[in-house]
Amino acid sequence: MSVGFIGAGQLAFALARGFTAAGILAAHKITASSPDTDLPTVSGLRKMGVNFTVSNKDTVKSSDVLFLAVKPPIIPFILEEVGPDIEPRHIVVSCAAGVTISSIEKKLSTFCPTPKVIRCMTNTPVIVREGATVYATGTHADVEDGKLLEQLMASVGFCTEVEEDLIDAVTGLSGSGPAYAFTALDALADGGVKMGLPRRLAVRLGAQALLGAAKMLLESEQHPGQLKDNVCSPGGATIHALHFLESGGFRSLLINAVEASCIRTRELQHVADQEKISPAAIKKTLLDKVKMESPSLSSKVSLFTNKSPSSKKN
Amino acid sequence: WGRGLGVTGRGRAAMEAVESRELRVGFVGAGRMAAGLARGLLRAGRVPASNILASAPSDKNLDAWRESGCRTTHCNLEVLQDTTLVFLATKPHILPGVLQEIRPAVGPHHIVVSMAAGVSLQTLQRLLPAGTKVLRMMPNLPCVVQAGAMVFARGSTAGDGEAALLKNLLSSCGLCEEVPESYINIHTGLSGSGVAYVYLFAEALAEGAVKMGMPIGLASRIAAQTLLGAAKMMLETGEHPAKLRGDVCTPGGTTIHALHQLEKGALRATVMNAVEAATNRACDVAKD
Repeated sequence: MSVGFIGAGQLAFALARGFTAAGILAAHKITASSPDTDLPTVSGLRKMGVNFTVSNKDTVKSSDVLFLAVKPPIIPFILEEVGPDIEPRHIVVSCAAGVTISSIEKKLSTFCPTPKVIRCMTNTPVIVREGATVYATGTHADVEDGKLLEQLMASVGFCTEVEEDLIDAVTGLSGSGPAYAFTALDALADGGVKMGLPRRLAVRLGAQALLGAAKMLLESEQHPGQLKDNVCSPGGATIHALHFLESGGFRSLLINAVEASCIRTRELQHVADQEKISPAAIKKTLLDKVKMESPSLSSKVSLFTNKSPSSKKN
Repeated sequence: WGRGLGVTGRGRAAMEAVESRELRVGFVGAGRMAAGLARGLLRAGRVPASNILASAPSDKNLDAWRESGCRTTHCNLEVLQDTTLVFLATKPHILPGVLQEIRPAVGPHHIVVSMAAGVSLQTLQRLLPAGTKVLRMMPNLPCVVQAGAMVFARGSTAGDGEAALLKNLLSSCGLCEEVPESYINIHTGLSGSGVAYVYLFAEALAEGAVKMGMPIGLASRIAAQTLLGAAKMMLETGEHPAKLRGDVCTPGGTTIHALHQLEKGALRATVMNAVEAATNRACDVAKD
């Protein structure tokens, strides 16, 4: 089985690294493509032994499982470009946040009557084989296709099938989750440094503390609240510290974060669904513009609104 | 069964007195706390009203006791002369003076249990004859309806027998646990005052319902029952409240939306602050 990645950024790199480290796939069975050869991940992929090309079509031709590992706004362009090369054997796996199965199937249906589409949401720790992945199968994807993807993703962490309508919430939780953890770890390390620890040691200990706690929870039948209680001796250091966290609304901040990420994902999906492709949009120059532009909350500037192709927003 | 608990001869006698409803119980001070405890004991049927004697300087508080069938007096000494288990239920600042007063009548057969906030076992033992069996307890108001939470600590001369007796008797009014003395102020912050926090929460729940269109009477009753039911589930299942909370939260449902509001308001920290404040205040009062 060969695997291809359209896109050679963080996600492709992380997955390729994970698959090869897990031994489930040899590097030479992996192809990745991107028009942008300057990405730092490109050299990383090459060093791994992955086949790198600037031609998305080449990637499609040499893959059975095709990961769409590009940013959500680019998905429609990619589908337009590689659609003609999609064959019945291909399993198209989209990892793009907020992009629905139906939007992908709709795009591909102009080229292929029964495209096998699977939508998945994973996260960067696949790189160390501790990813969290969910997937939902599309209309024409069989049970075996789902199981195949599950086997691949299970080699790099936890993987389970879900209903598609849960995927945005998963994005908010475990998709973005590593970023919350990195932020927490940075701050914990600051705390350690403030109280006298050297930075490197502080980072190492903070990370290990979170790793250990997560492992305990995963291996325990107990509720995290119970595990927390087990650490808090009456009148001791930990309960004093927890009181500070509660005073700062720690829990609600985390709830807010998951909610915000989930809502933003839905917004992006909504933006993407409104897109209108112009043939010129496939040019690299426009791709650059798309890359540089990050849709913001306040200014819903979009290439995908119902405007005439000639008026290009910047 | 007395032997199994390591009870002394006198302690066993007292226990048997409890079981046979012959124990004579006295209250020095007849205010709200004392009345609550007495009413709880009466309702539980552990002590006949005729075996209860309460003293207070004026009749103001004593009328209610008499209506329940208890005996009353204005003489503190009489309580000591007439009863075995004596609850000291005066206001804390009055207690030292009262102890001086009753000291001559205190004997080795007495079991003296102070309910006065902030008065330490050390102080009590100092002001009473050496060797007096002294314990200290802290109840809370729902003792009245047999749903109290009480803790007690024993003094150096109180033994297993006295502790067992007190626990046995008070358990008729709710949860009763023996603790180290240092926990008593914490109990005040958690449960003595804690009852008020719950009333505040219940009131707020009801007001929320009123805002959404429910009449206040109905809303209050439902609020109270909700608290009662939740508490009962905690006590009966023994499960961690976080787990019970999770059991109520359907994904994307009403409960998790509401909980998010509570977390945003830092309710947990606020409650922790409250318990801390009351506990600290109990400690401060004790020092005065």
